[in-house]
Amino acid sequence: MSVSVPVGQKPPHRRLLHRLFLALSGEYIWFYLLLIPSIVLLVCVVIIPMVFAFKMSLGNTTVVTVGGKGSIQSVWVGLQNYVNVLSNPYFWQAFRDTVYFSVVSLLIEVTAGVAMALLMNQQFFGRKVFRVIVFIPWAVPTVVNAMLWGMVFDGDNYGALNDLLLRMHWIQTPVIWLDPAPLFQGIPWLSSFISWLGGSVAMNSMIVGDEWRTLPIVAVLLLAGLQTIPHEYYEAAKVEGASAWRQFQAITVPLLGPILSIVLILRTMQLLRAFTLIFTLQQYGLPILSIEAYQQAFSFGNFGAGSAISFLIGILSLLIAVVYIKRLYKEEM
Amino acid sequence: MKQKWMQLLLGLSTVASLVAPAGMANAATAPKVVLKVLYMNQAGYTTTVLRQMGKQFQKQYPNVTLQFTFLPYPQMHSAVLTSAAAPTAQYDVVLSDLIWTGEFASRGYTLPLNSYITQNVKNANQIPQSVWDGFKVGGKIMAMPFLANFQNFYYNKNLLKKAGFNAPPKTMAQWLHQMQVLKAKHIVQYPYEDSWMQAEGLVCDYVRTAGEFGNGNLFNAKGQPIMNQGPALKALQWMRQLYADGLANPNSLTADEPTAANAFASGQVAFNTNWTFLTGIMDTKSQSKVVGQGVVTTFPVAPGTNKTTHSADISGFQGLAIAANTPASLRPWAWKWIQFATSPAVQAQHLHSQWPVWSQIASSPKEKNLNKWAAVYQKNLNSVYNRPVIANYLQVSSIIQQYVHEAIAGTIPVKQAADEMVQQINQLKA
Repeated sequence: MSVSVPVGQKPPHRRLLHRLFLALSGEYIWFYLLLIPSIVLLVCVVIIPMVFAFKMSLGNTTVVTVGGKGSIQSVWVGLQNYVNVLSNPYFWQAFRDTVYFSVVSLLIEVTAGVAMALLMNQQFFGRKVFRVIVFIPWAVPTVVNAMLWGMVFDGDNYGALNDLLLRMHWIQTPVIWLDPAPLFQGIPWLSSFISWLGGSVAMNSMIVGDEWRTLPIVAVLLLAGLQTIPHEYYEAAKVEGASAWRQFQAITVPLLGPILSIVLILRTMQLLRAFTLIFTLQQYGLPILSIEAYQQAFSFGNFGAGSAISFLIGILSLLIAVVYIKRLYKEEM
Repeated sequence: MKQKWMQLLLGLSTVASLVAPAGMANAATAPKVVLKVLYMNQAGYTTTVLRQMGKQFQKQYPNVTLQFTFLPYPQMHSAVLTSAAAPTAQYDVVLSDLIWTGEFASRGYTLPLNSYITQNVKNANQIPQSVWDGFKVGGKIMAMPFLANFQNFYYNKNLLKKAGFNAPPKTMAQWLHQMQVLKAKHIVQYPYEDSWMQAEGLVCDYVRTAGEFGNGNLFNAKGQPIMNQGPALKALQWMRQLYADGLANPNSLTADEPTAANAFASGQVAFNTNWTFLTGIMDTKSQSKVVGQGVVTTFPVAPGTNKTTHSADISGFQGLAIAANTPASLRPWAWKWIQFATSPAVQAQHLHSQWPVWSQIASSPKEKNLNKWAAVYQKNLNSVYNRPVIANYLQVSSIIQQYVHEAIAGTIPVKQAADEMVQQINQLKA
């Protein structure tokens, strides 16, 4: 069967080739040439591993050593790994805990991050020193941060936080900060509700430990956004008699929107695959999604299920990113 | 005197056997060899000791260069796994924990060492059978024993004296009574702390406690899980009771071994069961507030348990293994390093660091001089239970960790937790 092409019009493949020829021979030749290293790098370190991981997720994939050679053996099972993962109640528990960890962290970052950025944007004595100090936690390596918070949250009398609170007589007995016990046990309905959402003493401690390190970078990024807002806008608003709150609502929030969206995209992706702090302090005791994926792959040697969970995290991140980006472009238009 | 001569002869014969195949070691003719060695930097022999051993080895075999990689214990298994996935091993000699023996054997990640051991280790019976058992599966020996780690029962004699006790508990009932008195008299808020964080350490304590009640084997002879009956169930009930009655510090549920050791060394608890590293900590001024107060002894047990040692313990043995994807040309050299590092002569040089796997070194006067608890150590080592040597141990362990943790915390009743544990392990097998 032949495809009829209108007179004077080239068939689609010829058109594509023609466009490619124009692109490569025209003024954009350097543009494409300069892009090649980045594309090659991206293909090698992102695309190929991703395709490989996806292939692993579609098989019963294990490490085997045959005839003195190690290899990864995969027996095709289609979507069975995804079905197994999605029908496993532990996956949904991990999903719930991950969502709680991410949402609470983001809420803290949006509120405290904006507040810190606004504070750092003010003129005050020692502002530069303050900005440097605020940035220090971000320079602490993740594992060091985890060990540090392990000492702070030690549940014995001599744990840094317990010791402080005991000396101040704010608590009578040491609190087990890393215990996955329900919060607010004195108020049963609230305790049950927060537990249902995925919250626990240990989870909240993890959030505090993680936020201590990441909040500064969020605040600094938002500060950069605040500094792009022309001062004249605020002066004009003042002349019109707008209150500080009204200025914040009408000028700061909308104009901070684009940078806030980018920060939220980055942080959501980071939070969904949070690992080091929780694994260092809890090992498999607080199995959020990334720890579940790690355990399946590197502890149980079940790379198929591990890859499937990783892909589900990736898809979730992508969906959230799409929502943010759509919203960002809508705001810009 | 006779013993000293024996040791000297043994030491000389080991060194001679290591140097013997001089054809291979001849610096002028031997090929240049680079051996990549994976070891941990968290416990066991320190990285300094390993490097010292490496230097000694390289003096004997100048053609061999040892490249060490040191990782924390939690990263060791994944490092071995990813190395096994490569066509050629990333690490030629790897540290092998006894809990990985079944998996490594069934998936072929490391080589059986039977032929090397039969040919080169003349005095293999000097390594206790329980140690060999940790690395044997279906007749294959998957690693050469390197580290004879096990737990000890530690108590603070001053605190016990305050409570009116002049001797440590010998039975579980006595132990419970002593803890109750310590708490009732407000000598300590919590008499006991242990490492019950949801991790492998919890399984170790659970197996050991089951052993204290008479049987630390979590599977019967037919390979069926038996956590919901007999000593294993009693162990779970015991752990829950200690937690519920406030005899065990609630922090135990989030504590790993170093955290529990710190609690003991700070003088806040009277009892701790821990690996041998606590012996060093408790008498080191910079790390301990209980210098001279800590005592190492055998574990209390239920009446009738282990009539020879009157103790029950848990092993944490580690061995050295050759990766299965190590090139054939490197394997003899990998074995030479293993034979050297695990030899009695080399282990005898590092007695201050670790308890040796060789009985004749462990019972030597040098060890007795260095370690005043040597006799207790020997008894405890002779009382060990090994965790199950099965192919999917890490999955089984993950289930045990979860349910034991929940049972202690009280989120699931003990019997229900034990039943669900057994059910899930059976599902795994199916």
